[in-house]
Amino acid sequence: MKRRRFHILLLILLLLVAAVPLFTESRATINLLTHIFIIAIFAMSYDILLGYTGIISFGHALFFGSGAYTIGLLLKNLGRGLEIALLGLVMAMLLGLVVAFLIGTISLRVRDTYFAMMTLALGELFFIAAFKLRGLTGGEDGFSFRVPEMLQDRVVFYYLALLFLILVFYLLSLFISSPTGRVLQAIRENERRAQAIGYDVFRYKLFSTVVAGITASLAGALYGLQERFVSTSVLAVDKTLDALLMTIIGGSGTLYGAIVGSALVTIVHEWFSSLGSVHPIFERWLIIFGVVYIVVVLFFPGGLVRAFSSLGRRWRKDTRISTGVALSSEVVNVKEKESSC
Amino acid sequence: MDTFINLFTNGIATGMAIFLLAVGLSIIFGLMGILNFAHGAFFLWGAYVGTWVFGRTQSFFLALASAILAGALLGVILERTTISRVFGNHLSQILLTMGLMLVLGELVKVVWGPNMLTSPPPGFLEGSWEFGGIVLIKYRLFTIVVGLVVALAVYILLTRTRLGIIVRAGVENPEMVQALGIDIRKVFTMVFALGAGLAALGGAIMGPLGGSISPTMGLDNQLLAFIVVVTGGLGSFVGSLVGALLVGLIGAAVSWFVPEAALAVNVLLMALVLLVKPTGLFGGGNI
Repeated sequence: MKRRRFHILLLILLLLVAAVPLFTESRATINLLTHIFIIAIFAMSYDILLGYTGIISFGHALFFGSGAYTIGLLLKNLGRGLEIALLGLVMAMLLGLVVAFLIGTISLRVRDTYFAMMTLALGELFFIAAFKLRGLTGGEDGFSFRVPEMLQDRVVFYYLALLFLILVFYLLSLFISSPTGRVLQAIRENERRAQAIGYDVFRYKLFSTVVAGITASLAGALYGLQERFVSTSVLAVDKTLDALLMTIIGGSGTLYGAIVGSALVTIVHEWFSSLGSVHPIFERWLIIFGVVYIVVVLFFPGGLVRAFSSLGRRWRKDTRISTGVALSSEVVNVKEKESSC
Repeated sequence: MDTFINLFTNGIATGMAIFLLAVGLSIIFGLMGILNFAHGAFFLWGAYVGTWVFGRTQSFFLALASAILAGALLGVILERTTISRVFGNHLSQILLTMGLMLVLGELVKVVWGPNMLTSPPPGFLEGSWEFGGIVLIKYRLFTIVVGLVVALAVYILLTRTRLGIIVRAGVENPEMVQALGIDIRKVFTMVFALGAGLAALGGAIMGPLGGSISPTMGLDNQLLAFIVVVTGGLGSFVGSLVGALLVGLIGAAVSWFVPEAALAVNVLLMALVLLVKPTGLFGGGNI
C-alpha cells in the first residue's frame, strides 16, 4: 500500500520535472536542472561504493574526469557528428570499466584507511597527468569543443539528461536489489562475516568499483556534453568531495538520497553564488554544507532523507498504534538501517 | 656539485617540514586508530597564523609559538567536541575528519581571503652562507635544525617519559592501559593536541620555505604526509622520519631532473611500498 503511494508520488514528481521546459523559457533554470540530473548520476555512482559497499574512495573524480575528457577529445578531434558523441559515451563507459578494473585490482588489496589514501593518491595522479600533458588536454586552461547540432538545443539535452538519470536510477536499483547487490550490502555490514560465509569479498568489491566507475564515467561524459568544455577541474579532488557531500547529506545507502542531495547542494550553491555578488561572505557557501555534513555524519548517519522519514514515522506513531505488528517490524527495519551506517 | 648540495639541502628541509606534519598524523593513527583527514587543516592554520603574527609583530619566534598554540587549541577543541564521538568507527572517522578539513579550509578563506599571500622569512634568516664555494641558504638550514630538534624531542618524549610509555603501550593495547587505571581519554586528547601543534609548526615553517601560502596548501601537503606515513609505516616514529626524508629528497631530485614527474613519483613510491609491504617500511615495529 505504502509502496504504491510512493510510486504514484514519484510519477507525479517526474511528470512535473519533465514539464518544466514547457513552462519556463529561462535557460538558466533548464541548465541548472540538467546539471542536477548529471551530478545526481555521479552522486549515485558514489553511493554504490559508499552507501552499498561501505568503502570510501577519494579518487572518484578520476572516473568522472576521464569520461569528460574522453568525449571532449573525441568531439574535438573527430568532428561533431551525433555518431561521434554516441561513440564518446560508449568509449567513456568502456574506459571507466577498464580503469575501474585496474585501479580496483591495485587498491582493493589494502583495507579501508589505506584504501582511502590510495584512492586519494591515484586521483591526484590522474589530475597531475591531465595537468602536465598540455599538448593533449590543454593543461589547466582546458579546451572547448563543439557538440552535435541536435544536442545544442538545451531543451533536447534536458530531456536526454533526465532520460539518462531515470535509466541509471532504474539500472542501479536493479543492481542493488540483485543477489550481487545483496552481497555488497552484507560486506558493508560485516566484511569478515561475509568472508566467513564464503563470499569472495575482493571480487564483489571489485565488481562494485567497476559498476561505480562506469556510471561515474557516463556522468562525466554527459557533463562534458553540457559544458562543451573540459579542464583539469573535472579531475580535482573537489569533484569527489562534491559527491561525498551530496551522498552523505542526502543519505548514503539510498539511491534517491543521492539525487535529493545533489539537487539540494546544487540549488543552494547557485543561490548563494548569486548572493555572493551582494556580499562576498556568501561565496563561502561550502562552510554551511561542511557543517551540515559534519552534523549528519555525527547525528543522522542515515542522511537527511531518512532523518525526515523517521521523524514522520514517529509523528504518525500514535495514530497507527493499532497496527502494532506492521509498525514494530518497521521500527526494527529503521533501527537496522540506522545501526548499519 | 653545487646543484647536488642545493638539491640535498632543499630535499632535507622540505622533508623536515613534512615530518612535522607526518609524525603527529602517525602517532594519532597508531594510538587512536584515527586516520585524521583534518590534519592538513592544522598545518594550514599554522601557516596562516604564523605568517599573520609575524607580519604584525616581526617576531619570528612569537609567530612559531602562536602557530603551535593555535594548532594545539584547534586540536583539543575538535577532538573533544566531534572526533571523540566516532571512536572505533573507521568509516565515520574518515568522513568526519574530511568534513572538518573542508570547513577549516574554508574558514581560512573567510579570515584571510582566498588568494595566495607572501610569507617572508625573518631578517636574520634571509640570504645564505658560503663555505668554500658551496652556497647554503640560511632558512633551509634553520628548517633542518628545527626538524632535527623536534624529532629528537619527540623521540625522547616517546622513549624516556611516562607519557611516552603510556602512549606506546596505548598503541599496543588501549584497553589494557585503561584497565591499569590510566585515563586513556586524557592521553588521547593530549596526543591529539601534540600532533596538531606539531602540524601547525610545520605549516608555519613551510610558509617562508616556499615564500607564499595559499588555502590549498593544507590538502596538498596532507597528501604528502599520507604518502610519508604509509611509506614509513603508520604509527612508527622512525618510519615517519625516514619516509619524510625519502619523500623530500626524491621530490627535490625528480623535480630538478624530470619536473613533469615530481608529484607523481611520490604517489608511485607509496603505491609500490603498499603493494610490496602493506604495513609500510617500518610498520609493526616498536617506535
